[in-house]
Amino acid sequence: MHIPDGYLGPQTYAVLDAAIIPAWWVASVKVKKTLKAKQVPLMALAAAFSFVIMMFNVPVIGGSTGHAVGATLIAILLGPWAACIAVSIALVIQALVFGDGGITAIGANCLNMAVIMPFVGFYLYRLVAGNAPRLGRRVAAAGVASYVAIVVASIAAGVEFGLQPLLAHTSGGQPLYAPYPLSVAVPAMAIEHLLFFGFVEAFVTMGIVAVLARQDSALLEMKPAAKPLRWLWAGLAGLVLLTPIGVLAPGTAWGEWGAAELKSTLGFVPAGLQKLGALWTAAIPDYVPPFIANPLVGYVVAALLGSALVIGVTWLIARLLSRKAGDGPSTPAPTAP
Amino acid sequence: MIPALAHIPDSTPRRRASRSLARRTADAIGAAVAEVLVNSEVAARPGLLQRIDPRVKLISIVGFAVTASFVHSVSALSAMIVLTLVLAAASRVSPVSFVRKVMASAGLFAVLLAAPAATAWITPGHAALTLGPLTVTSEGLYIAVRLIARVVAGAGFGLLVVWTTRWTDLLRALTAMKMPDLVVATLAMAQQQIMSLLRTVENMHLARESRMLSRGTARENRGWVTERMAFVAKKSFKTADDVYDAMLARGFAGAMPSLVRLKTAPRDWFWLSGCTLTVALLLVADKMGNLR
Repeated sequence: MHIPDGYLGPQTYAVLDAAIIPAWWVASVKVKKTLKAKQVPLMALAAAFSFVIMMFNVPVIGGSTGHAVGATLIAILLGPWAACIAVSIALVIQALVFGDGGITAIGANCLNMAVIMPFVGFYLYRLVAGNAPRLGRRVAAAGVASYVAIVVASIAAGVEFGLQPLLAHTSGGQPLYAPYPLSVAVPAMAIEHLLFFGFVEAFVTMGIVAVLARQDSALLEMKPAAKPLRWLWAGLAGLVLLTPIGVLAPGTAWGEWGAAELKSTLGFVPAGLQKLGALWTAAIPDYVPPFIANPLVGYVVAALLGSALVIGVTWLIARLLSRKAGDGPSTPAPTAP
Repeated sequence: MIPALAHIPDSTPRRRASRSLARRTADAIGAAVAEVLVNSEVAARPGLLQRIDPRVKLISIVGFAVTASFVHSVSALSAMIVLTLVLAAASRVSPVSFVRKVMASAGLFAVLLAAPAATAWITPGHAALTLGPLTVTSEGLYIAVRLIARVVAGAGFGLLVVWTTRWTDLLRALTAMKMPDLVVATLAMAQQQIMSLLRTVENMHLARESRMLSRGTARENRGWVTERMAFVAKKSFKTADDVYDAMLARGFAGAMPSLVRLKTAPRDWFWLSGCTLTVALLLVADKMGNLR
């Protein structure tokens, strides 16, 4: 997920480089308040841990291996603000010492892996784990949170890539930087993380949380965070309200063509697609409930229903997994915000 | 001087495909550590960029990297790639190693990523080459070549900073450029601890390799890897406590005053002027359409 120089245009990297500075400033103020003078060695060691965890080869399936980012894990151990600083330092050192990740793209890389990942992961972990002292539920929460967090970060990277043809192109429409539109870049980034890297991240996070809970549960005591659920709900509400922006995008997402679009593009509809296409009729086709005429309102309602469904299913899976895993050794419950 | 132990990856007589997971990880970590040591050795050579004040060098090279994102013609980007090679050679960096590292770090991935953009599927246009069902268009080819050239130029400038600047000089430059002392101290400490933890992790993997008669199943390896990661996490936090205690014992009270005093020499100003002129020429030529 490390974006090198050259893929993002100045309009994008300048904004992201500028946007990351206030995030670092707020993070440093928050961390200084909680860690005082101890922040220097702790952040340095957390950054070193963040760097080193990316060097481990994790066996997956069929002899293949993958790497974890570890941002959610560090957020669980130290809190999201400290994770923001630690992962940022690791990314800066990767760029300046090891030449991994671009210099101009440091803002973008930090936004994806040092802001989005730890915050999404941390608050989702708090949401799913709740105040449950049981190890099973907390391990399951760590897995769900780290999986979702890396997928969301990859989607953010996909959006950054996909915006390039819209933001910077020649008079003839040729892209000047990353050449693939949102309809290609977002699925390409999301799919590899949904199918592969998400599982690596979840496995590593779950494994380390489980081992630490058994061996040194004090490390899993949640670090303070300001009203996590309130911010999470506010962020979710903001995203739901922003969903009508999707209506502005012309065309259909790459690879998601319906029979009518295929017919107009190819001149025919593949027999298999024609046969299987009628098997299932979506309850809310095109993200607009049938009982709502206005597509903008329909988008918001669909986003609300979808969010409720995802939260419900996630909560249910976490409950089932924690019951299946049994009580296990009791670990301290996360401290109240 | 690079210690002999840093050459572990190169000395192994085994075929890459036959290496175990532990050995592969140990080799990768050994290679990363060796790379840092090689970089610091290159950065100590008496070359062109090594003689420049680290602040001036950082500003000028980042300026070139930013310029590479502003120019759009393949000719201008090619000129910038040639410039990186010239600067590498003038800084006593082996051009072969430089090209290899640039391609390994970003170039090859850029080729893979840009290749589909050259096809009619992504970029419709005039057919330049037809390979069965695959048609490469001239417009797509230009887009792909431009992306690859831009990425290679950007990676080249980034690596010039990495290869010709000692980490301590970079930190001195950041301090002199008014970066908060605590940030610089954290960066310095993080880099030291990264090297220390990398050695620990490398030794863990080598120890496992030397103790194992078989490679173990994927499940066993996963269990071992996560347990070792948890150990590294615990070791990191324990070390942080120890380091903090040591800092307190030495009188640390939260402030880190800097003793860095950098002075620019006339050659730094010549260099900066030359860089500014080069950047201006590239931008003007690119804007006027003289370079295509």
